[in-house]
Amino acid sequence: MSLAERMLKIDRRIIFLIIGLCTLLPLLYPVGLPIKISPEVRAVYDYIESMPEGSVFLLSLDFDPSSKPELYPQAVALLHHAFRKNLRVVAMTLWVSGTGLADQIIAQVARETGKEDTKDYVFLGWSPGGTAVIINMGQNLYTTFPTDYHGRPTKGLPVLDGVNSLRDVDYAVSLGAGNPGVEAWYVFGKDKYKFEMGGGCTGVMAPGLYPLLRSGQINGLIGGLRGAAEYESLIGRKGQAVAGMDAQSATHMAIIVLVMLCNLFYFALRRKQQAS
Amino acid sequence: MSVESIIGAWVATGLTLFIFSFLYRDNPLFKLAEHLYVGVSVGYTIVKTYDTVLVHLIWKPIVENHEWTLLIPVFIGMLMLARYVPKVSWLSRYAFAFIVGVGAGLAIPRTISSFILKQVEDTVRPLVALVPGEGAVFTWDLLNPASGVNTIIILIGVTSVLFYFFFSVEHTGPGKAVARTGIFFLMIAFGAAFGYTVMARMSLLIGRLTDLIGYADGSYGRPTLWLLLLTVGALVLLSRRVKSEPPPER
Repeated sequence: MSLAERMLKIDRRIIFLIIGLCTLLPLLYPVGLPIKISPEVRAVYDYIESMPEGSVFLLSLDFDPSSKPELYPQAVALLHHAFRKNLRVVAMTLWVSGTGLADQIIAQVARETGKEDTKDYVFLGWSPGGTAVIINMGQNLYTTFPTDYHGRPTKGLPVLDGVNSLRDVDYAVSLGAGNPGVEAWYVFGKDKYKFEMGGGCTGVMAPGLYPLLRSGQINGLIGGLRGAAEYESLIGRKGQAVAGMDAQSATHMAIIVLVMLCNLFYFALRRKQQAS
Repeated sequence: MSVESIIGAWVATGLTLFIFSFLYRDNPLFKLAEHLYVGVSVGYTIVKTYDTVLVHLIWKPIVENHEWTLLIPVFIGMLMLARYVPKVSWLSRYAFAFIVGVGAGLAIPRTISSFILKQVEDTVRPLVALVPGEGAVFTWDLLNPASGVNTIIILIGVTSVLFYFFFSVEHTGPGKAVARTGIFFLMIAFGAAFGYTVMARMSLLIGRLTDLIGYADGSYGRPTLWLLLLTVGALVLLSRRVKSEPPPER
């Protein structure tokens, strides 16, 4: 058996091991590769940066724990930025399986930044209906969420002072891992009730959202762990995403090399078979 | 460190390692973690839905605030359950008709506006921009999404891909060239999507490994190390047991 044949029949567990090591070693011994900021991530940052103190920032955490590695760092970075700018944060989720995680994220960042529940931020929780929730919020926020996640009546909360519907939101960001997510927020929210919005998503979803970005339907997009790392760099608070970027680069490099080697061995084998 | 955090760390580490053990081969530890994941997520969803919908959005407003109008959606929703009683199952059609009608009515105009009209508008942008003092300007900047050259690329891409999926005309002669161009654009799109998918999957691996590294800390009782030893040991034992067992009689 030739080298090419042996390599093409290699035990897949060896490839798993290579990928595992390429991920693990940079996490244990980071080198700090530079992170270039993309215009789409900067657009979200710039918009939040330009918002005056007390503006209403709606953050919809439309994901569950299975997408935590990508969207959790995005949520943490966005919340840190919003709290630093003293924006009024209205958080919610359209995913019932993500309510506990979303509450944990908001409470953790609020604790770190010294923000007060119901005064500086509120977590509305989840309401049934998927996209219909967005339409209902556009008509009346208080009938959609009569109480917040902790059961307190939303009517009269200081953080929601002057906020009656989505028309009173200054900027919205949906961190989506699927449907309902960024697209639903654009279609049933921004397009109908005319507020500015940006998006954050998993890497798998990012290519599908670029058409919305180019046409100006969303003003910015944070894509995957890479986008989260860029946002962390922008706010000057390096966290989980930046720490993972070395590992991401190393695994990508390993995959590129493996793809090239596979092609090389495939063509070498084909040439040999044609010759014989 | 709170007891809940320590227990959480041990459970998370154990389940992660059990799931990862599938990379070696299918085994009972992986099955245990897989079934737990499905069970816990379904259980969580049922409990949250019951608490939010039945208790907070239906029971409390009706009983405490006397919002009787809520009985109308409750009645329509209850009609769905009629499917389980063959004699009155036809009643459920009213509930489905209501949902389909409202859903389609809400979705169709918004989807056409957002995904067709806005995207068509973006595809047929003007090739030149009118700049005061300079007149009509064509921009060659590939990095600027709104540049003239990118508008041409998008126009060629959209038309050639649409032509590729137009099967009423045989793809020969000039048509073949257009269809081939469409394939090139499709391949680039698939490549970009696959690249992003790889990035996303690696991000998930990074997330789990980051947690495993964190849980190797002494403050948690080093669950990563102990449970890794346990998992490897269990895999070795299972592997030996499989080898020593005689093949089943046929």
